[in-house]
Amino acid sequence: MNKVNQTYLRFPLARRIEHWVMMLSFVTLGLTGLPQKFSASNLSTSVMSTLGGIEVLRTIHHTAAIVMMLGSVWHLLVMGYSVFVLRDKMSMLPTLQDAKDGIQALLYNIGFVKSYPQMGRYTFEEKMEYWAFVWGTVVMVMTGFLMWNPITATQYLPGQFVPAAKAAHGAEAVLAVLAIIIWHMYGVHIKRLNKAMFNGMQTEAEMLHEHPLELADMKAGIADRRPDATILRKRQMIYYPVAAILTITMLGGIYGFINNEQTALTTITPLTETQIFVQQTPQP
Amino acid sequence: MRQRIQIRPPRTWTVILLLGLGLFIFALAAFASPAQAAPAFQEKKPSNDFCLACHQEEGIDLTLGKESLPVTINPTKFGLSVHSEEGIACVDCHTNISEYPHPNVKVKNTRDFTLTFLDTCKDCHQEQYTKTHDSVHQIAFDEGNKNAAVCMDCHNPHTQTRLTGKTSNELTASARVEIPEICAKCHSGIYDQYKTSVHGNALTQENNTDVPTCIDCHGVHNIQNPTTVTFRNSTPFLCAKCHTDSKIMDKYGISTNVLNSYVSDFHGTTVKLFEEQFPGQPTNKPVCTDCHGVHNIGKVGDKQTGLALKENLLTKCQRCHPDATANFSDAWMSHYEPSPEHFPIVYYVNLFYKFFIPAVLGGMVLFILTDIYRRIINSLKKGAKHS
Repeated sequence: MNKVNQTYLRFPLARRIEHWVMMLSFVTLGLTGLPQKFSASNLSTSVMSTLGGIEVLRTIHHTAAIVMMLGSVWHLLVMGYSVFVLRDKMSMLPTLQDAKDGIQALLYNIGFVKSYPQMGRYTFEEKMEYWAFVWGTVVMVMTGFLMWNPITATQYLPGQFVPAAKAAHGAEAVLAVLAIIIWHMYGVHIKRLNKAMFNGMQTEAEMLHEHPLELADMKAGIADRRPDATILRKRQMIYYPVAAILTITMLGGIYGFINNEQTALTTITPLTETQIFVQQTPQP
Repeated sequence: MRQRIQIRPPRTWTVILLLGLGLFIFALAAFASPAQAAPAFQEKKPSNDFCLACHQEEGIDLTLGKESLPVTINPTKFGLSVHSEEGIACVDCHTNISEYPHPNVKVKNTRDFTLTFLDTCKDCHQEQYTKTHDSVHQIAFDEGNKNAAVCMDCHNPHTQTRLTGKTSNELTASARVEIPEICAKCHSGIYDQYKTSVHGNALTQENNTDVPTCIDCHGVHNIQNPTTVTFRNSTPFLCAKCHTDSKIMDKYGISTNVLNSYVSDFHGTTVKLFEEQFPGQPTNKPVCTDCHGVHNIGKVGDKQTGLALKENLLTKCQRCHPDATANFSDAWMSHYEPSPEHFPIVYYVNLFYKFFIPAVLGGMVLFILTDIYRRIINSLKKGAKHS
């Protein structure tokens, strides 16, 4: 039964580390963000007092946000390398086939069609979650910027964008956290404990169930064909400087995001000075 | 600073019970010792009329060192005082005097003479007397400031009229009007600001007693230091005592949602959390008074100075955010609930997510339920096949 024991590498270590970093920052953001949104609840206040108060909570939240932004920059660079240098198949891009797969899966579940769709490296469920995360991150970074830098933002935007950003940030957070709890938990932990993000591996049976098309490609030897050494070198010589410029630009953006504005955080309200003891002069 | 300044009126049954108890004790005492109905010393106690026979005369002074203290008592004014009404005798307070000539006064100035009566009020007004010991005035006094207010500075015992209703313990309207004038004796600078405020103006010009006097915010007798962090952090809840009370606010068409809208904003959320968790720790987020003023609180709708005008609000923002530009002040929703008229973008963002969140999550849950259903059916079928 060699066939069943055969395993395939799904996520190399670097991708797993990336996942865990993003996961940790996501959890931290959720745990320090939701108590801010629902600050009236007892659970929130006990979380806050445990961590040392609202200002500490905000600092942790900001730090986790920076980690997530750095993680996103890293992801973009890795994707750039994959797309430009390795010319990998852009297997995460949503296609019409994904919609068809989704509908087929639903119809199969309720018994209207006989077979479950056969999918490649990423199923429609995984793509949905990935793009939901991308959308969520974009919304959170943009609305987060508005709240972190309200003075800069309102030089170009109407003032009410700031409370609107706060509303969207909180609502999107609720959506993101619940979506992860519902979709991600069910998809990779409950339905079947998927160990791909732990040891990186999938068994043949797992591959056959969930990614039969990718498995077929692997067996055919066309799954990840590497360009030959000279082409690889040539592309790297172009990509590395471009990536360096992109990195500097994006890191500069993050630096500006963090340090652009301080008045909202550091100003102490000036006290109104009043003479306390002023004796009344007797009226003549 | 959260202490009640108005004592609840005693319930009727308490009054009846106390009256009954009093009657019972009186009857018991009368029965037990009818001969001693009046204590012996009272026979020697000079009546008020006896004292006033001399003291109503105009222009009599007591010389204390270089100062002279008028000791004329106006019988009419004294007659209107609560002490006269309650039958308090002059000698009840002036305990060292029982005959003429009076004993010599040793102190050398009028202030020291007043201070010789420091503990006198305690005999009847124990509660108030004790409270004053926790006040800023007492602290100043203990630090050596002899001018710090003591009982008699606010309540002239010879003229003080009744401040609360005879049966209710609530302050009378006239007392409320009078209070700021009493504080003004030493705090006239603040009083001048207060008079121009929306509260002070209504009180002093219209005798409107819905507005707060000094003691509604600062307390009475145990007046606390209003410059502490604790006091500052509690400010929103202090203002909210009246400003969330629709019985008062409805008369003037003022929203009672001001605390909620403040607390749901970034600033208010922070202050509320500090107030609850670390009341003594400072936060740089503004409280009501930072925008609306302290003693000079103005009308929001005032055509010149009102905060409803964007430029005026912006100057408040700029106290903490000096770089803020014109649009910035709209980042604070001015106590409005977002609606299609006020802050529509916020309103529509909320509306969008109100449908978007359940739609996305509902879709996910539905799909998962069909998946679970299929798994159960499949495993049942498999089981059926095997058996």
